[in-house]
Order: sequence, then C-alpha cells, then structure tokens
Amino acid sequence: MREKIITFLIELGCVYTIVSVGGAIANMIVGGQTNNLNVIVMFMTCFIGTFVLNLHKLFDKVSPLLMIVVQYLAACALCAVMILIVGWIEGESVSPRGWYEFYRSFTIPYVILAGYYYYRVFSDTKKQEDLIKEIQENASEGK
Amino acid sequence: MKLNLYENKEDLNEHVDVYYSNMRPVIRQLIDTVNSERPKLKGRPADEDLDDGEEVILDPREVYYLDHIDRKLFAYTKDGVFRLMDTLTSCEEMLWNYGFVRVSKSNLINVYKIKQLKPDMNMKVYASFDNGERICVNRSYKKSFNDYLQKMRRMG
Repeated sequence: MREKIITFLIELGCVYTIVSVGGAIANMIVGGQTNNLNVIVMFMTCFIGTFVLNLHKLFDKVSPLLMIVVQYLAACALCAVMILIVGWIEGESVSPRGWYEFYRSFTIPYVILAGYYYYRVFSDTKKQEDLIKEIQENASEGK
Repeated sequence: MKLNLYENKEDLNEHVDVYYSNMRPVIRQLIDTVNSERPKLKGRPADEDLDDGEEVILDPREVYYLDHIDRKLFAYTKDGVFRLMDTLTSCEEMLWNYGFVRVSKSNLINVYKIKQLKPDMNMKVYASFDNGERICVNRSYKKSFNDYLQKMRRMG
C-alpha cells in the first residue's frame, strides 16, 4: 500500500509539473495570466486525473475502450464535484461559460491521450506479432 | 542445425556432444531430451466419451494453449482437448523453454503456435490459433508477455 501511495505521488508530481509548465508556456505565448485559485484547480484536476487513471487495474476484465469511457465519466463527475466545492468556497456560482471552458480544457488532452493509447495498442501488437513471426522462423530454421 | 550421427559398435560409452553459439531454447530442449527430462504433459481426453481411462502423453510442441477453468487444467491441441493433472504454475515453469508464456490468470499460450496477434475494435488483444480458437492477452500480462518475446528473440 505504501509503495502504491509513493508511486501515485511520484506520478502526480510528474503530471502536475508537465501541466503546470505547459500552462506557463501557453500563458507566455498568448499573454494570459493565472491566479492562486487556478493553480489549486489545476493541481486538483491533475490529482483527479491521475487517481482515476490509476484505477485501470479494476478494469482489467473489460475492454480498454470501455475503460477509457468509464474513466472519463468518473473523472468528469469528480471534477464537477470539485468545481462545485470551489464555487461554494469562493461564494460564487460557476457560470455556464466556466463549466464549458473547464470541460473543454479537460476533454481535449484526454481525447488526445486516449487516441495515443489506442494507437499504442495497435502499434505494440504489431511489434509483438513481428517478434512472434521472427521467433517462429528462427525455430523452424533451427530444426 | 546440422546433425551428425556416428555409429561405433565398439564404443559402449555412448555420448552426445553439442556445439552451440548461444544457449537458446532449442538447445535447452535438446539437453532435456538427452537427460530424459523433456517435459511430458500427461492428460486424458476432456470428452468423457473418448476417455478410455488411459493417460495420454502430450508433446508440448503440439499444444496450442493451456486453459485453467473451474480448478481444472485443459490442454488444447489439433487433435482435441485434454485434461491435465498438473497446475498452471508448474506448467509455466516446466514449459518456459518450449514457447509457453502466461497471458492471463488462467491461460498459458504456445508462441510457436500463434497464427495471428491482433487487437479487436474494443482494443482487447487476441492471439489466434490454427484451430480457430483465440485467447485474450490480458493487459496486466502485456509487459511480461513482451519481455518473454524479447528474451526468446535474443536467444533465438
């Protein structure tokens, strides 16, 4: 359990660093600004994303496609709860535009990464199949 | 591999010399055969109508895959399905050099018998065999499956 928590924290650290640096670069390019609340929301979003994706072992028996969809929906639900809590703490309700912007910035990287995962499944399988053919050929030559 | 056989009726000290460049699985199989340690899978036909009570010796090279269902272990070959008395774990250790690798909690597959490895649309990866059957390569075993293939190729 301790090892799992340590691994999770390391992954969270890496994810947050990448997202944070990516966000800083994007802000420098487009001249945007961030604030303390945005930093907290970004961290919480990374936490939720890393946590939900870490649950992939629970979906071992279902197809990866279903796993991706279920994980996305779970992450969306957790993010909605987080946004509501942040809105409650701030004493403001979240505007429809705010919801839209949040989910857009969450969904786009998720879809890109899911597509990459989908591609990896196919490319890795192709590599494995080539390896199998090579092993079979070597074995038939060795006979 | 070149095979030379020398007959010498006066030499009572029969022996086998093996010259190899790489200790690959086929060499290990040869050693097992000379040492009479070649693994044998003892089984009985899974179909009770075909079971005459006698054990059948299966050559691992003829087995497509092993399947563990309801605490029973079955071997699938071209000629049919046989129930084995071994455990899946003992078979995994015994058949490592014979191309068998674990791809799920209940399956060992023979990589020499794989006809095709392909993911389907929902991204589950399946190994297909000549007998038309296919076995899912579980995501949890993907890394160990890949490591096994890499090792087999290096030794190949």
